Amino acid sequence: MKFIDEFRDAELGRALAVEILATVEPGRHYKIMEVCGGHTHAIYKYGVDDLLPPNVELVHGPGCPVCVIPMGRVDDGISLAHQPGVIFTCFGDMLRVPGSSQTLLDAKAQGADVRVVYSPLDALRIAKQHPERQVVFFAIGFETTAPSTALTLRRAKAENVQNFSVICSHVTIVPPLRALLESPDLRLDGFIGPGHVATVIGLAPFQFMPDEYGKPVAISGFEPLDLLQSMLMVLRQIADGRAEVENQYARVVPAQGNPRALEVMDEVFAVRPEFEWRGLGFIPESALALSDDYAEWDAELRFAVPGVRVADPQACQCGEVLKGAIKPWECKVFGTACTPERPIGACMVSPEGACAAYYNYGRFAREREVV
Amino acid sequence: MSEHVAARGCITCGDVAIPMLVVEIDRARRLALCQSTRGERESVEIALVEPVQDGEWLLVHAGTALSRAAEPDAAASTAAGKGTGAEREAVA
Repeated sequence: MKFIDEFRDAELGRALAVEILATVEPGRHYKIMEVCGGHTHAIYKYGVDDLLPPNVELVHGPGCPVCVIPMGRVDDGISLAHQPGVIFTCFGDMLRVPGSSQTLLDAKAQGADVRVVYSPLDALRIAKQHPERQVVFFAIGFETTAPSTALTLRRAKAENVQNFSVICSHVTIVPPLRALLESPDLRLDGFIGPGHVATVIGLAPFQFMPDEYGKPVAISGFEPLDLLQSMLMVLRQIADGRAEVENQYARVVPAQGNPRALEVMDEVFAVRPEFEWRGLGFIPESALALSDDYAEWDAELRFAVPGVRVADPQACQCGEVLKGAIKPWECKVFGTACTPERPIGACMVSPEGACAAYYNYGRFAREREVV
Repeated sequence: MSEHVAARGCITCGDVAIPMLVVEIDRARRLALCQSTRGERESVEIALVEPVQDGEWLLVHAGTALSRAAEPDAAASTAAGKGTGAEREAVA
Protein backbone atom coordinates (compact mmCIF):
# COMPACT_ATOMS: atom_id res chain seq x y z
CA MET A 1 0.00 0.00 0.00
CA LYS A 2 1.34 3.41 -0.99
CA PHE A 3 3.21 5.23 1.80
CA ILE A 4 3.07 2.19 4.06
CA ASP A 5 4.73 -0.88 2.54
CA GLU A 6 7.95 1.06 1.96
CA PHE A 7 8.37 1.51 5.71
CA ARG A 8 7.58 -2.07 6.77
CA ASP A 9 10.26 -3.83 4.72
CA ALA A 10 11.50 -6.79 6.79
CA GLU A 11 14.92 -6.95 5.13
CA LEU A 12 15.66 -3.29 5.84
CA GLY A 13 14.37 -3.81 9.38
CA ARG A 14 16.81 -6.66 9.96
CA ALA A 15 19.66 -4.54 8.55
CA LEU A 16 18.80 -1.75 10.98
CA ALA A 17 18.65 -4.24 13.86
CA VAL A 18 22.16 -5.43 12.98
CA GLU A 19 23.39 -1.80 12.90
CA ILE A 20 21.80 -1.16 16.31
CA LEU A 21 23.45 -4.25 17.77
CA ALA A 22 26.81 -3.08 16.43
CA THR A 23 26.33 0.40 17.90
CA VAL A 24 25.52 -0.47 21.54
CA GLU A 25 28.17 -1.30 24.12
CA PRO A 26 27.46 -4.83 25.43
CA GLY A 27 27.91 -4.00 29.13
CA ARG A 28 25.88 -0.80 29.11
CA HIS A 29 22.14 -0.42 29.79
CA TYR A 30 20.30 2.14 27.64
CA LYS A 31 16.94 3.72 28.56
CA ILE A 32 15.23 5.46 25.67
CA MET A 33 11.83 7.14 26.04
CA GLU A 34 9.38 7.25 23.18
CA VAL A 35 7.37 10.31 24.03
CA CYS A 36 4.37 9.72 21.83
CA GLY A 37 1.55 7.26 22.45
CA GLY A 38 1.39 6.55 18.72
CA HIS A 39 4.98 5.33 18.89
CA THR A 40 4.21 3.09 21.87
CA HIS A 41 1.32 1.58 19.97
CA ALA A 42 3.42 1.02 16.81
CA ILE A 43 6.36 -0.49 18.74
CA TYR A 44 4.19 -3.24 20.22
CA LYS A 45 1.93 -3.69 17.22
CA TYR A 46 4.93 -4.46 14.98
CA GLY A 47 7.17 -6.05 17.62
CA VAL A 48 9.87 -3.42 17.09
CA ASP A 49 11.16 -4.01 20.63
CA ASP A 50 11.90 -7.64 19.75
CA LEU A 51 14.50 -6.44 17.24
CA LEU A 52 16.39 -4.46 19.91
CA PRO A 53 19.27 -5.84 21.98
CA PRO A 54 18.23 -6.77 25.56
CA ASN A 55 20.25 -3.90 27.03
CA VAL A 56 18.15 -1.29 25.17
CA GLU A 57 15.09 -0.56 27.31
CA LEU A 58 12.15 1.44 25.99
CA VAL A 59 10.36 3.73 28.45
CA HIS A 60 6.90 4.95 27.51
CA GLY A 61 6.28 8.67 27.82
CA PRO A 62 3.33 10.94 28.54
CA GLY A 63 2.38 11.52 24.90
CA CYS A 64 -1.18 10.17 24.90
CA PRO A 65 -3.50 13.15 25.42
CA VAL A 66 -6.38 10.94 26.55
CA CYS A 67 -4.22 9.35 29.22
CA VAL A 68 -3.02 12.60 30.72
CA ILE A 69 -6.45 14.27 31.08
CA PRO A 70 -7.19 14.33 34.83
CA MET A 71 -10.35 12.79 36.17
CA GLY A 72 -11.80 16.14 37.26
CA ARG A 73 -11.58 17.38 33.69
CA VAL A 74 -13.52 14.32 32.48
CA ASP A 75 -16.14 15.12 35.12
CA ASP A 76 -16.36 18.65 33.71
CA GLY A 77 -17.10 17.24 30.27
CA ILE A 78 -19.70 14.81 31.61
CA SER A 79 -21.37 17.64 33.52
CA LEU A 80 -21.66 19.66 30.30
CA ALA A 81 -23.03 16.63 28.44
CA HIS A 82 -25.85 16.40 30.99
CA GLN A 83 -26.89 20.04 30.55
CA PRO A 84 -30.35 20.29 28.97
CA GLY A 85 -30.30 21.03 25.25
CA VAL A 86 -26.58 20.37 24.84
CA ILE A 87 -25.12 18.21 22.08
CA PHE A 88 -21.73 17.14 23.45
CA THR A 89 -19.14 16.20 20.83
CA CYS A 90 -15.78 14.54 21.39
CA PHE A 91 -13.18 12.24 19.83
CA GLY A 92 -13.92 8.53 20.13
CA ASP A 93 -11.51 7.59 22.87
CA MET A 94 -12.86 10.08 25.39
CA LEU A 95 -16.14 8.16 25.54
CA ARG A 96 -14.78 5.41 27.80
CA VAL A 97 -12.38 7.40 29.98
CA PRO A 98 -13.60 7.03 33.56
CA GLY A 99 -14.65 10.14 35.45
CA SER A 100 -15.17 9.94 39.19
CA SER A 101 -18.59 8.31 38.86
CA GLN A 102 -19.22 7.58 35.19
CA THR A 103 -17.95 7.88 31.61
CA LEU A 104 -19.30 9.91 28.71
CA LEU A 105 -20.64 6.62 27.35
CA ASP A 106 -22.59 6.13 30.60
CA ALA A 107 -23.90 9.68 30.24
CA LYS A 108 -25.02 8.85 26.70
CA ALA A 109 -26.77 5.71 27.96
CA GLN A 110 -28.60 7.89 30.48
CA GLY A 111 -29.92 10.08 27.67
CA ALA A 112 -27.25 12.75 27.24
CA ASP A 113 -26.72 13.64 23.58
CA VAL A 114 -23.04 12.65 23.23
CA ARG A 115 -21.71 12.31 19.69
CA VAL A 116 -18.34 11.12 18.39
CA VAL A 117 -16.69 13.35 15.80
CA TYR A 118 -13.58 12.87 13.68
CA SER A 119 -12.68 16.55 13.64
CA PRO A 120 -13.73 19.80 15.33
CA LEU A 121 -15.09 20.82 11.95
CA ASP A 122 -17.66 18.02 12.24
CA ALA A 123 -18.75 19.49 15.58
CA LEU A 124 -19.18 22.93 14.00
CA ARG A 125 -21.21 21.35 11.20
CA ILE A 126 -23.53 19.78 13.80
CA ALA A 127 -23.92 23.23 15.41
CA LYS A 128 -24.95 24.73 12.08
CA GLN A 129 -27.42 21.90 11.50
CA HIS A 130 -28.99 22.42 14.94
CA PRO A 131 -29.15 26.17 15.58
CA GLU A 132 -31.70 25.59 18.35
CA ARG A 133 -29.23 23.47 20.38
CA GLN A 134 -25.95 24.28 22.13
CA VAL A 135 -23.09 22.22 20.68
CA VAL A 136 -19.99 21.77 22.84
CA PHE A 137 -16.73 20.26 21.57
CA PHE A 138 -14.35 18.59 24.05
CA ALA A 139 -10.99 19.68 22.61
CA ILE A 140 -8.09 17.47 23.62
CA GLY A 141 -4.73 16.75 22.07
CA PHE A 142 -1.22 18.10 21.73
CA GLU A 143 0.00 20.68 19.22
CA THR A 144 -0.89 18.29 16.40
CA THR A 145 -4.59 18.62 17.15
CA ALA A 146 -4.73 22.18 18.47
CA PRO A 147 -4.54 23.80 14.98
CA SER A 148 -7.73 21.93 13.97
CA THR A 149 -9.57 23.37 16.95
CA ALA A 150 -8.10 26.83 16.28
CA LEU A 151 -9.14 26.82 12.60
CA THR A 152 -12.63 25.64 13.54
CA LEU A 153 -12.99 28.45 16.08
CA ARG A 154 -11.76 30.97 13.53
CA ARG A 155 -14.43 29.61 11.16
CA ALA A 156 -17.10 29.79 13.90
CA LYS A 157 -16.19 33.42 14.55
CA ALA A 158 -16.15 34.35 10.85
CA GLU A 159 -19.54 32.71 10.31
CA ASN A 160 -20.85 33.96 13.68
CA VAL A 161 -21.99 30.52 14.85
CA GLN A 162 -23.27 31.40 18.30
CA ASN A 163 -24.46 27.99 19.48
CA PHE A 164 -20.98 26.41 19.29
CA SER A 165 -18.44 26.35 22.11
CA VAL A 166 -15.30 24.49 23.13
CA ILE A 167 -14.08 23.08 26.44
CA CYS A 168 -10.41 23.52 25.75
CA SER A 169 -8.11 20.86 27.21
CA HIS A 170 -5.28 21.07 24.70
CA VAL A 171 -1.86 20.40 26.19
CA THR A 172 1.68 21.15 25.03
CA ILE A 173 4.52 18.67 24.89
CA VAL A 174 7.59 20.62 26.00
CA PRO A 175 6.63 21.38 29.67
CA PRO A 176 6.06 17.71 30.63
CA LEU A 177 9.31 16.74 28.91
CA ARG A 178 11.13 19.30 31.00
CA ALA A 179 9.33 18.01 34.12
CA LEU A 180 10.49 14.47 33.28
CA LEU A 181 14.05 15.62 32.71
CA GLU A 182 13.99 17.39 36.07
CA SER A 183 12.71 14.24 37.79
CA PRO A 184 15.57 12.87 39.93
CA ASP A 185 14.43 9.24 39.86
CA LEU A 186 14.24 8.83 36.10
CA ARG A 187 17.54 8.37 34.28
CA LEU A 188 16.99 8.46 30.55
CA ASP A 189 19.67 8.27 27.86
CA GLY A 190 17.73 9.63 24.90
CA PHE A 191 14.35 10.39 23.38
CA ILE A 192 12.32 9.35 20.36
CA GLY A 193 10.53 12.63 19.62
CA PRO A 194 6.91 13.07 18.48
CA GLY A 195 6.82 13.33 14.69
CA HIS A 196 3.48 14.98 14.12
CA VAL A 197 3.78 17.46 16.98
CA ALA A 198 7.06 18.50 15.32
CA THR A 199 5.22 18.91 12.01
CA VAL A 200 3.44 21.81 13.72
CA ILE A 201 6.03 23.25 16.14
CA GLY A 202 9.24 22.33 14.28
CA LEU A 203 12.53 21.16 15.76
CA ALA A 204 13.65 24.20 17.76
CA PRO A 205 11.36 23.63 20.82
CA PHE A 206 13.18 20.31 21.46
CA GLN A 207 16.64 21.88 21.35
CA PHE A 208 16.70 22.44 25.14
CA MET A 209 16.93 18.68 25.62
CA PRO A 210 20.46 18.34 24.19
CA ASP A 211 21.50 21.89 25.13
CA GLU A 212 20.43 21.92 28.78
CA TYR A 213 20.27 18.22 29.65
CA GLY A 214 22.73 16.64 27.19
CA LYS A 215 20.09 14.21 25.89
CA PRO A 216 19.98 13.04 22.25
CA VAL A 217 16.64 13.34 20.43
CA ALA A 218 15.44 11.83 17.14
CA ILE A 219 12.11 13.12 15.83
CA SER A 220 10.51 9.99 14.43
CA GLY A 221 7.88 8.77 12.02
CA PHE A 222 5.42 6.05 12.95
CA GLU A 223 6.24 3.06 10.79
CA PRO A 224 8.45 0.23 12.11
CA LEU A 225 11.46 1.27 10.01
CA ASP A 226 11.04 4.88 11.12
CA LEU A 227 11.24 3.79 14.74
CA LEU A 228 14.22 1.49 14.22
CA GLN A 229 16.12 4.18 12.37
CA SER A 230 15.31 6.75 15.09
CA MET A 231 16.60 4.38 17.75
CA LEU A 232 19.76 3.89 15.74
CA MET A 233 20.18 7.67 15.46
CA VAL A 234 19.84 8.12 19.23
CA LEU A 235 22.21 5.22 19.99
CA ARG A 236 24.77 6.55 17.49
CA GLN A 237 24.66 9.97 19.16
CA ILE A 238 25.31 8.29 22.51
CA ALA A 239 28.16 6.23 21.02
CA ASP A 240 29.71 9.35 19.44
CA GLY A 241 29.26 11.45 22.58
CA ARG A 242 26.93 13.82 20.70
CA ALA A 243 23.61 15.33 21.81
CA GLU A 244 21.50 16.85 19.04
CA VAL A 245 17.96 17.04 17.71
CA GLU A 246 17.94 14.89 14.59
CA ASN A 247 15.00 14.66 12.23
CA GLN A 248 14.38 11.08 11.09
CA TYR A 249 10.94 12.13 9.81
CA ALA A 250 12.31 14.74 7.37
CA ARG A 251 9.94 13.53 4.64
CA VAL A 252 7.11 15.15 6.63
CA VAL A 253 8.59 17.42 9.33
CA PRO A 254 10.01 20.76 8.17
CA ALA A 255 12.63 22.15 10.58
CA GLN A 256 10.54 25.28 11.13
CA GLY A 257 7.22 23.41 11.60
CA ASN A 258 4.07 24.93 10.13
CA PRO A 259 4.17 28.74 10.67
CA ARG A 260 0.52 29.15 9.64
CA ALA A 261 -0.55 26.64 12.28
CA LEU A 262 1.48 28.45 14.93
CA GLU A 263 -0.05 31.75 13.86
CA VAL A 264 -3.67 30.58 14.18
CA MET A 265 -2.89 28.89 17.51
CA ASP A 266 -1.39 32.15 18.75
CA GLU A 267 -4.54 34.01 17.75
CA VAL A 268 -7.06 31.59 19.24
CA PHE A 269 -5.32 30.25 22.36
CA ALA A 270 -3.67 31.64 25.46
CA VAL A 271 -1.29 29.62 27.63
CA ARG A 272 -2.84 28.55 30.95
CA PRO A 273 -0.73 29.46 34.01
CA GLU A 274 -0.81 25.78 34.99
CA PHE A 275 -2.69 22.57 34.18
CA GLU A 276 -3.08 19.29 36.01
CA TRP A 277 -1.69 16.21 34.23
CA ARG A 278 -2.77 12.78 35.35
CA GLY A 279 0.12 11.29 37.27
CA LEU A 280 2.41 14.26 36.73
CA GLY A 281 0.51 16.79 38.83
CA PHE A 282 0.30 20.50 38.04
CA ILE A 283 2.77 21.63 35.37
CA PRO A 284 3.21 25.37 34.71
CA GLU A 285 2.28 26.73 31.26
CA SER A 286 1.54 23.27 29.90
CA ALA A 287 -1.94 23.73 28.43
CA LEU A 288 -4.02 26.08 26.32
CA ALA A 289 -7.20 28.03 27.04
CA LEU A 290 -9.14 30.21 24.60
CA SER A 291 -7.78 33.73 24.22
CA ASP A 292 -9.87 36.79 25.15
CA ASP A 293 -10.78 37.29 21.47
CA TYR A 294 -12.49 33.88 21.51
CA ALA A 295 -13.97 34.01 25.02
CA GLU A 296 -17.45 34.01 23.46
CA TRP A 297 -16.86 30.41 22.32
CA ASP A 298 -15.43 29.20 25.63
CA ALA A 299 -17.73 26.54 27.10
CA GLU A 300 -16.15 27.03 30.53
CA LEU A 301 -17.43 30.63 30.52
CA ARG A 302 -20.74 29.88 28.84
CA PHE A 303 -21.80 27.08 31.21
CA ALA A 304 -21.34 26.32 34.88
CA VAL A 305 -18.50 23.76 35.02
CA PRO A 306 -17.69 22.04 38.35
CA GLY A 307 -13.90 22.39 37.91
CA VAL A 308 -13.29 20.13 40.91
CA ARG A 309 -9.97 18.34 41.31
CA VAL A 310 -10.49 14.58 41.71
CA ALA A 311 -7.76 12.23 42.90
CA ASP A 312 -7.07 9.14 40.78
CA PRO A 313 -8.30 5.78 42.15
CA GLN A 314 -5.81 4.43 44.69
CA ALA A 315 -5.35 1.12 42.89
CA CYS A 316 -4.45 2.85 39.61
CA GLN A 317 -0.77 3.46 38.88
CA CYS A 318 -1.23 5.37 35.63
CA GLY A 319 0.93 8.14 37.07
CA GLU A 320 3.96 5.91 37.46
CA VAL A 321 3.36 4.40 34.02
CA LEU A 322 3.12 7.86 32.43
CA LYS A 323 6.37 8.91 34.08
CA GLY A 324 8.03 5.71 32.85
CA ALA A 325 8.79 4.74 36.45
CA ILE A 326 7.10 1.34 36.11
CA LYS A 327 6.16 -0.88 33.20
CA PRO A 328 2.40 -1.33 32.68
CA TRP A 329 2.49 -5.00 33.76
CA GLU A 330 4.00 -3.94 37.10
CA CYS A 331 0.79 -2.08 38.03
CA LYS A 332 -1.22 -3.91 40.70
CA VAL A 333 -4.43 -3.98 38.68
CA PHE A 334 -3.01 -4.47 35.15
CA GLY A 335 -4.85 -7.21 33.29
CA THR A 336 -6.95 -8.18 36.29
CA ALA A 337 -9.20 -5.42 37.61
CA CYS A 338 -8.10 -3.09 34.79
CA THR A 339 -8.57 -4.29 31.20
CA PRO A 340 -9.47 -2.52 27.93
CA GLU A 341 -13.05 -3.78 28.39
CA ARG A 342 -13.32 -2.41 31.95
CA PRO A 343 -10.54 0.16 32.38
CA ILE A 344 -9.75 1.78 35.71
CA GLY A 345 -7.02 4.06 34.43
CA ALA A 346 -6.86 6.10 31.25
CA CYS A 347 -3.71 4.31 30.03
CA MET A 348 -5.87 1.22 29.48
CA VAL A 349 -8.61 3.12 27.63
CA SER A 350 -6.84 4.62 24.66
CA PRO A 351 -5.33 2.24 22.07
CA GLU A 352 -2.22 4.45 22.31
CA GLY A 353 -2.06 4.15 26.10
CA ALA A 354 0.95 2.14 27.24
CA CYS A 355 -1.18 -0.31 29.25
CA ALA A 356 -3.58 -1.01 26.37
CA ALA A 357 -0.62 -1.45 23.98
CA TYR A 358 0.97 -3.99 26.33
CA TYR A 359 -2.32 -5.77 26.96
CA ASN A 360 -3.50 -5.92 23.35
CA TYR A 361 -0.22 -7.19 21.92
CA GLY A 362 0.49 -9.87 24.47
CA ARG A 363 3.25 -8.18 26.45
CA PHE A 364 1.65 -9.26 29.70
CA ALA A 365 2.06 -12.93 28.86
CA ARG A 366 5.63 -12.51 27.64
CA GLU A 367 6.75 -10.48 30.64
CA ARG A 368 5.20 -13.09 32.92
CA GLU A 369 7.21 -15.83 31.21
CA VAL A 370 10.42 -13.89 31.78
CA VAL A 371 9.61 -13.50 35.49
CA MET B 1 -18.57 11.51 10.53
CA SER B 2 -18.52 8.05 9.11
CA GLU B 3 -18.98 5.20 11.58
CA HIS B 4 -16.08 3.21 10.12
CA VAL B 5 -13.67 5.96 11.10
CA ALA B 6 -14.99 5.93 14.66
CA ALA B 7 -14.78 2.17 14.84
CA ARG B 8 -11.05 1.94 14.20
CA GLY B 9 -10.18 4.10 17.20
CA CYS B 10 -9.29 7.65 17.86
CA ILE B 11 -6.56 8.55 15.44
CA THR B 12 -6.44 12.04 16.87
CA CYS B 13 -5.12 10.82 20.17
CA GLY B 14 -2.19 8.84 18.91
CA ASP B 15 -0.43 11.76 17.26
CA VAL B 16 -1.32 9.84 14.13
CA ALA B 17 -1.82 11.55 10.80
CA ILE B 18 -2.66 9.87 7.53
CA PRO B 19 -1.68 10.62 3.94
CA MET B 20 -4.71 11.54 1.84
CA LEU B 21 -5.06 12.30 -1.86
CA VAL B 22 -6.75 15.56 -2.89
CA VAL B 23 -9.76 14.69 -5.06
CA GLU B 24 -11.65 17.99 -5.29
CA ILE B 25 -11.05 21.49 -3.94
CA ASP B 26 -13.62 24.02 -2.70
CA ARG B 27 -11.40 27.10 -2.76
CA ALA B 28 -14.09 29.46 -1.50
CA ARG B 29 -14.57 27.45 1.71
CA ARG B 30 -10.88 26.43 1.95
CA LEU B 31 -11.83 22.76 2.10
CA ALA B 32 -10.76 19.78 0.00
CA LEU B 33 -12.38 16.41 -0.52
CA CYS B 34 -9.59 13.93 0.16
CA GLN B 35 -9.30 10.15 -0.10
CA SER B 36 -7.21 7.90 2.11
CA THR B 37 -5.30 4.83 0.91
CA ARG B 38 -8.23 2.78 2.31
CA GLY B 39 -10.61 4.64 0.02
CA GLU B 40 -12.29 6.66 2.80
CA ARG B 41 -13.25 10.19 1.83
CA GLU B 42 -13.31 13.20 4.17
CA SER B 43 -13.65 16.98 3.94
CA VAL B 44 -10.28 18.40 4.91
CA GLU B 45 -9.35 21.89 6.09
CA ILE B 46 -6.54 23.13 3.81
CA ALA B 47 -5.85 26.60 5.26
CA LEU B 48 -2.45 25.52 6.64
CA VAL B 49 -1.10 24.11 3.37
CA GLU B 50 -2.61 26.29 0.63
CA PRO B 51 -2.24 26.45 -2.33
CA VAL B 52 -3.26 22.86 -2.95
CA GLN B 53 -3.73 21.09 -6.29
CA ASP B 54 -5.82 18.07 -7.28
CA GLY B 55 -3.74 14.89 -7.10
CA GLU B 56 -1.46 16.10 -4.30
CA TRP B 57 -0.93 14.02 -1.15
CA LEU B 58 -1.55 15.73 2.19
CA LEU B 59 -0.84 14.64 5.74
CA VAL B 60 -4.18 14.91 7.53
CA HIS B 61 -4.83 14.97 11.25
CA ALA B 62 -8.29 15.45 12.78
CA GLY B 63 -9.70 16.80 9.54
CA THR B 64 -6.89 19.32 8.99
CA ALA B 65 -4.01 19.01 6.52
CA LEU B 66 -0.81 19.75 8.45
CA SER B 67 1.70 19.35 5.63
CA ARG B 68 2.24 17.85 2.22
CA ALA B 69 3.12 14.17 2.19
CA ALA B 70 6.13 13.76 -0.07
CA GLU B 71 6.63 10.68 -2.23
CA PRO B 72 8.37 8.23 0.07
CA ASP B 73 11.76 6.83 -0.77
CA ALA B 74 12.16 4.11 1.80
CA ALA B 75 15.42 2.75 0.47
CA ALA B 76 17.04 6.17 0.70
CA SER B 77 15.65 7.14 4.06
CA THR B 78 16.10 3.89 5.93
CA ALA B 79 19.11 2.17 4.41
CA ALA B 80 20.79 1.38 7.70
CA GLY B 81 20.99 5.07 8.51
CA LYS B 82 23.98 5.82 6.29
CA GLY B 83 24.06 9.30 4.75
CA THR B 84 20.32 9.65 4.98
CA GLY B 85 18.41 12.82 4.32
CA ALA B 86 17.24 12.55 7.89
CA GLU B 87 20.72 13.05 9.28
CA ARG B 88 21.32 16.04 7.09
CA GLU B 89 18.26 17.71 8.66
CA ALA B 90 19.80 17.66 12.13
CA VAL B 91 19.60 20.89 14.08
CA ALA B 92 23.10 22.05 14.86
